[in-house]
Amino acid sequence: MSDDVPLRRAAPHGFLPIHTNAFDRVFISVVCFVAIHLFWMRFLEQDISLYVATVLSVIVGAIIIARG
Amino acid sequence: MRPQSVGWLFLAPTLLILAVFGVLPFIYVLVVSFFDWNSFAADPTMRFSGVQNYRDLVFDTGFLMSLWNTLKFGVFAVASEIVLGYFLAQLFMRNFPLKGFFRTIHTLPLMIAPVAVGATWRLMTVPGLGPIPYYLDRWFGYDYLISRYAGQAFLTTVVMDVWHWTPLVTLTLLAALSSMPKEPFEQAQIDGANKLQTFWYVTLPLLKPAILSAVFIRLMDAMRTVDEVWMLTGGGPAAATRYVGLYIWRVVFPKTDYGYGSAMSLITLYLTIVLCWLLYAGLVARRDLRKPE
Amino acid sequence: MKRDRKGLSLTFWLFSSLITLFPIYWMFCVSAKSRVELFGAPTFLIRSFFSENYWATLTNTSFQGYMFNSIVIATSNALLVTTLSLFATYALSRYKLSGKENIFFWTITNRMAPPAAFLLPLFLLYTQVFVVGDWKMFDTRIGLILLYCVFNLPFAIWTMRGVVDAIPQELDEAAFVDGASTWQVILHVILPLARPGLAVTAILTWVFAWNEYLFAATLTSVHARTITTGLAEFVTVTGTNWGQMAATAMLTLIPAIIFLSLVQKHIVAGLTFGAVKG
Repeated sequence: MSDDVPLRRAAPHGFLPIHTNAFDRVFISVVCFVAIHLFWMRFLEQDISLYVATVLSVIVGAIIIARG
Repeated sequence: MRPQSVGWLFLAPTLLILAVFGVLPFIYVLVVSFFDWNSFAADPTMRFSGVQNYRDLVFDTGFLMSLWNTLKFGVFAVASEIVLGYFLAQLFMRNFPLKGFFRTIHTLPLMIAPVAVGATWRLMTVPGLGPIPYYLDRWFGYDYLISRYAGQAFLTTVVMDVWHWTPLVTLTLLAALSSMPKEPFEQAQIDGANKLQTFWYVTLPLLKPAILSAVFIRLMDAMRTVDEVWMLTGGGPAAATRYVGLYIWRVVFPKTDYGYGSAMSLITLYLTIVLCWLLYAGLVARRDLRKPE
Repeated sequence: MKRDRKGLSLTFWLFSSLITLFPIYWMFCVSAKSRVELFGAPTFLIRSFFSENYWATLTNTSFQGYMFNSIVIATSNALLVTTLSLFATYALSRYKLSGKENIFFWTITNRMAPPAAFLLPLFLLYTQVFVVGDWKMFDTRIGLILLYCVFNLPFAIWTMRGVVDAIPQELDEAAFVDGASTWQVILHVILPLARPGLAVTAILTWVFAWNEYLFAATLTSVHARTITTGLAEFVTVTGTNWGQMAATAMLTLIPAIIFLSLVQKHIVAGLTFGAVKG
């Protein structure tokens, strides 16, 4: 589906498949933040502390905001 | 001559109402979801419990099942509505006598209260009273009992949704079809394209925005269906048609487990927003919602 | 050959209309039969109209109360929403407000929220927070009227924005030059021109409020119950009085059927958020 998003041609942008503004990137980071925590709690928390997930999602969020 | 403050004054009541009844509940539920709070428990006060509610939530099979069922329901219902709606819209493009009259009839289900739709379909499917079980048994010897068979109950909710909402898709696509330019079709005819090719290479691309917005709107609606299904099956048999809205309303609510219920409400909201956004991102040919023509 | 196709298409439409209408017709049949006639093989003809079901509902005092509540709530909500949306769209259309497009966008996203997610917080707010002395917002008509604004205002603002934007700005400029106040401009210039749009908005808002069930069932208990909750009670509380349930459902349908003829053309634009013009 992503190849026919017509926004492709608009302006240079980061690695995300659609063109985004600052608000969109913050939004995507928050979505990822929540998703990472939920999956972590479901599958990984028995072995690894949830704080690792927090650190990880902050890093992911920062990358998305900076480079998306 | 016209100061901005007057404009804000006109806007103020609207913003106030939306803030109090739209934003405030959201903040409230966000806060409560991090607390352990059950007014009928031994300790009815609020105690901070961190993410414990969410931790319970991701292991709650009842909730995960209801999410899965909701998604299945949404996909089945919306897919059938789009196909059926497209054919009806295509047929409405032709000229035939009494067109306006038939159009009105096909619009009728849209105006009916969901609760009444549920009641109608319940009357159709109640054993010993409704015509559906009676004739299925008499003509085909088929045992139809939605209070027992999960698959039948699921399909009946889908059929009900299709009956209720296909008109919306039909009218949406009809509007798009009538405003389509003629030239590409003439060109296709000159190039000797057959019907299938014309449909695939001309009609479908031109119709794509309308189809996507119909999918978007219908999927959002289908995901939050509560009233109709509640009236038809009550969420049963067992939990087969207990879609996520029903789950919150009938299972979590009466337990007065407010903290857990809040977490579940938030996750539902989260999933809706994510789904909405994914569809929107796929749909955005900056057909801008921001500016009405 | 050509006549054949016409006959075929007419047959198709008759058949398709039959399917669309059949559930409603069947409900009408059930509502017009006594309990004894109902069981056994389904019959689709009404030999004698059994009005008892309708009278039982209409003379039941609690149902009269539900009906009254529904009418009051839907009407007040429609009036409130159309008034507020006229003001709001006037402000959005005629004033240079910073960030107004974002405000407009935020306003209409309120409609997308799944009601089930808001049940619990609203229930808590209504029973524990919006409380003044002995008075709670729980189980009051005003509570529902204001709440319905959350999903009706976005819709109304969406429709009215187009209507108000289409009124030429020169008209209000001229009125201002003649010394009219803002208030007079809205009342004497905007209102008359926006009347058709306002009527459609009011009617659809009214129907949405009349049809709403989930919040009405959760946020009321006795005094502010609406007709849709009354209808649902037949399934949950009284069990199997099918005839009377069908009669009540028919009564809730009546306004929808009446209004359908008035706003037929606008329903689609209303329900799809104007993404498509109907």
